[in-house]
Amino acid sequence: MARIEIRDVSKLFGEVRAVEGVNLLSTEGEFLVLLGPSGCGKTTLLRMIAGIEEPTSGDIVIDGQVVTHLPPRVRNIAMVFQSYALYPHMTVYKNIAFPLRARGMGRATIKDKVEWAAGMFGIGHLLDRKPRALSGGERQRVALARAMVREPSVFLLDEPLSNLDAILRASAREELRQFQKRVAVTTVYVTHDQVEAMGLGDRIVVMSKGSIRQVGTPAEIYQWPADTFVATFVGSPPMNLMEQGDLLVGFRPETFLPAEFVEVRDGGVTYPFEVTYLEYLGAERLVYGNVGEKFQARHVVSRLPGSVDVSIEAGSTYSFAVSRRDLRYFDRASGLRTDKGLA
Amino acid sequence: MSGWQEDGTTVGLTRPGFRDQAGLLAKLMIAPAIIYISAMIGIPFVLAILYSLSDVTTGDPTLRLIGLQNFREILADPVFRISLKNTFFFAFVSVTLVIILSRILATALMADFRGKWLVRFLIMLPWTAPISLGTIGWLWMYDSIFSPIDWILRSIGLLGTPGALLGAQPNLYWLGEPKLAMASVVLVHAWRLLPLATVIQLAGLSSIPRELLEAAEVDGAKGWRRTVEITIPLTLPIISIAFLFGLIFTFTDMTVVYVLTRGGPVHMTQVLSTWTFFKGIEGGDLAQGAAISLFLFPALAGVAALMLRMARRTEVV
Amino acid sequence: MARASKKGMTRREFVKAATVGTVAMGVAPEIFLPRQSAAVSRELKILVWSHFVPRFDKEWFDNFTKNWGKANDVTVKVDHIGLAEIPSRTAAEVSAGQGHDLIEWISPPSQFEPSVLDLSDVVKEAEKRFGKQHPLCRRSSYNPLTKKYYSFCPGWTIDPGNYRKSLWEKAGKPNGPETWEDLITFGGKIKKEQGIQLGIGLSQEIDSNMAARALLWSFDSSIQDAKENVVLNSKNTVAAVEYMARLFKEAMVPEVFAWTAVSNNQALIAGRAAYILNSVSAYRSAQKEVPEIAKDVYFTPALKGPRGANWSCEHVIYNYIIPKYSKNVDMAKKFLLALVENYDQAMYSSELYNSPAFFDAPIPSGDRGYPAVKGAKKLRDLHNSWFDDDPFALPGEAKGKLSVLKDAEKWSTNVGHPGPANPAEGEVFATFILPNMLANAARGMKAEEAVAQAELLVKAIFAKWRKKGLVGGTK
Repeated sequence: MARIEIRDVSKLFGEVRAVEGVNLLSTEGEFLVLLGPSGCGKTTLLRMIAGIEEPTSGDIVIDGQVVTHLPPRVRNIAMVFQSYALYPHMTVYKNIAFPLRARGMGRATIKDKVEWAAGMFGIGHLLDRKPRALSGGERQRVALARAMVREPSVFLLDEPLSNLDAILRASAREELRQFQKRVAVTTVYVTHDQVEAMGLGDRIVVMSKGSIRQVGTPAEIYQWPADTFVATFVGSPPMNLMEQGDLLVGFRPETFLPAEFVEVRDGGVTYPFEVTYLEYLGAERLVYGNVGEKFQARHVVSRLPGSVDVSIEAGSTYSFAVSRRDLRYFDRASGLRTDKGLA
Repeated sequence: MSGWQEDGTTVGLTRPGFRDQAGLLAKLMIAPAIIYISAMIGIPFVLAILYSLSDVTTGDPTLRLIGLQNFREILADPVFRISLKNTFFFAFVSVTLVIILSRILATALMADFRGKWLVRFLIMLPWTAPISLGTIGWLWMYDSIFSPIDWILRSIGLLGTPGALLGAQPNLYWLGEPKLAMASVVLVHAWRLLPLATVIQLAGLSSIPRELLEAAEVDGAKGWRRTVEITIPLTLPIISIAFLFGLIFTFTDMTVVYVLTRGGPVHMTQVLSTWTFFKGIEGGDLAQGAAISLFLFPALAGVAALMLRMARRTEVV
Repeated sequence: MARASKKGMTRREFVKAATVGTVAMGVAPEIFLPRQSAAVSRELKILVWSHFVPRFDKEWFDNFTKNWGKANDVTVKVDHIGLAEIPSRTAAEVSAGQGHDLIEWISPPSQFEPSVLDLSDVVKEAEKRFGKQHPLCRRSSYNPLTKKYYSFCPGWTIDPGNYRKSLWEKAGKPNGPETWEDLITFGGKIKKEQGIQLGIGLSQEIDSNMAARALLWSFDSSIQDAKENVVLNSKNTVAAVEYMARLFKEAMVPEVFAWTAVSNNQALIAGRAAYILNSVSAYRSAQKEVPEIAKDVYFTPALKGPRGANWSCEHVIYNYIIPKYSKNVDMAKKFLLALVENYDQAMYSSELYNSPAFFDAPIPSGDRGYPAVKGAKKLRDLHNSWFDDDPFALPGEAKGKLSVLKDAEKWSTNVGHPGPANPAEGEVFATFILPNMLANAARGMKAEEAVAQAELLVKAIFAKWRKKGLVGGTK
């Protein structure tokens, strides 16, 4: 178990700034998720923590020790790659044993540890197989077992669930989360999938264009996005944004409901909502449309839970409202969240 | 077509044409290859077998079958036995050498550096030159008077002065001393095969997913362990292909030995292909020549079978 | 075999190698030649080697054949190939039953006897018109067992010793070696005192083959006797082999084990050989490339053995065959006679590389394309005059250097001596048995053992060809 500290780290590939001036501090045993679109620098950051890439400037500190220029093997980290990177010519047993053999452990100790790790992930019966004879889920477990077997102080995962099908992914997510809580190893997890990020992370680090936009718990990220990027990247459909003077007004689709369902005690805002299009998704409905001319006809989305049993049709205009506490304001020029609108 | 339309059976349909008969078309397409292979390889091969069982000579092509007489005679011939041994020796030693060298070279070429394409191009050059031309170049390198190798050795004081490490004589006589002559042949074969082997190894190395190597690095394996436990096993099928290719090239090649030594000194570098030529063409005993050359066949067939198996295995991994 | 120029050597080596490369899997693919429609035409197709002396082909042979064709109302098509290609090319044509009407070999093509015409009538007619054919030529084209002339020999090449006069002068032997023993005595001295070895090949190539035969004959031994019995394993052979081991130790270096056909040539031109066995072409090359060496190169006749015998092996023996498939037999035979008739031009344009088989042939009248030799009536007169006063000598070069080679036909003989050339002798030659026997001894093997080993191989070859009815003798 260890704390990871990233001090003003930048990474340049030639002219391209992959990571720029990133600072980050984890707590011990924390599950940290790096979230962002592809090319935002999250994987590069992870690889710098692992020691596969060297930062152009700045320092990586693990457990109080500066490891910036140290090779991976002395950092006591373990990593699970997107492709799992299992050694195809080795059996599962040998795959899991490999990091132990690399540190010169005795044969008997290796056997105990491999069996322990395999048991932990329920793959004891697969030890004699080669990776190509395994299913996607089994491979993922082998990769995890190989990473965990040496009891690392930091656990790094690079989109480990992206190769699984949707159903498997959900259960794997749950298992991963439980497993991490049990062993309580500081974990950095890279994903572009916000659902995964929300479900797994103690804290989420949202990145864009090489920099961190916001660090916070899933709730903070969702409820109080630091800027318009986070507001629109997190949440599906994203937060509605409307221009209002030099401000942008934002609200989540699920807070934009027919006026009769909104508590207006604190002074909600009502809009005429001209519905153009509807999507029925079973548990909910997505309603697309435009709000009035006063707001320069902005396109917005409403997400109606099944409990909102109101008949709505495309082509008609309805009165929709947002509770005041659900409104967020952003500076139009900088995109940063501001308290101005609350006044 | 119109007849069909008249009796109404093909309304709305076109009659399946020649092009739609996949089976026939496939046969037609593959026919040239089969004709080529049987004409260029099959017939001569059958003929070689017939010859080896007959007493045909270059001057008398009438076939009289005499059974296994030729095989009995060549097996009793000490020169044949040396040639057989040398054929295998040259093939295995030079190809092993090539595998090791090409591995090193390919690893170096995987790295990024300025002028890499030029280096790769230069390494490929020996492959593009006709083998006879290259070998004649080497003949000069090994010349008993003008050898540039000897010249270098002399100018750095290893040769040609009393007490020099390699002797006081002015030349090493590369092709005149049996051991050096064998080494010379091996070296030319290695030089010749190195480009292809390097390219094959490069392909093998670049086919290893980068994440796998990084995983090994994170797992704590670098340098030697990574080479031995990860990259070599992963490229083994491709290395085997390079190895088998090399074997076939050296087994069947007669140019190198013919140009460098013609089997000398005293047959110390004689190989089956050159011995076939001296016996069968220059000596006129076509039948024995055929018998000698057929001795390569089991070895080559074995190597070819292995190659096909290896090729299949690479597909799976 | 000697080469005309360094450039020529490389190219030939290259062609040789290239041909050889195509004979990858044994020999079978060579046999397949596309069959052309067998049109009976007034076209005579001749296949000849590319002469070592380039001007021979360019300035004489190609023109001569063209003009002869015109005069005889026939199109003559001449193809030149490298000497190494001759055996495989001939085999291919014979096997295909299609190809050239005349094929020129430069060694006895005795193994082709079953596939070629008996040329007794041509020889008979030639002897009637041009006088006696030299016996070495007859023995290189006639099979006494079957009484057939399997080829027709119009000429040959002398294989003298070439020595560096300045070196031998210093050693106290200004006119060069006379006996094989001189090579050890004075050659050894030259190597020790002047640091220059002599070069008699002990390698798997043809000059080494010729040298080995010359040595054996001069030591009164041989592979076969006159009746084609194998007599190799004899006291005299052992003595010759022991001699070669001594010669190697005293006067040579290991280069000779590695030599190719051009090596002795190069060594001489580079000034790194005190004595070699080669035709005049080595000297001719030196004239063109290193005149100061050429001026120092002199010649000796065949060296004498312990009992005075001195033999040299013909360096090249020209042999034309007419394959049985030829449809222009009469025309081909006519051409052969014309070739003998005009051999004066062959001699001149080869820069005296070619010597005639018919010394008594009259010189045709008129402008022969070379400065007329006063009083010369027969080829013999021309030969003597040119060897006394070499028309190709460099300005300022000593006169009469070639005089000692005037009577070369007396000490020159054929592969197979004292018997005829035959396929067994040919295969022994092609598989380098004699040079290897000598090399084995030079490398330390006991002479008796080296000879016994060679005899084993030779006997197997003779037995095999005897079974095919082409070689006489019983042992």
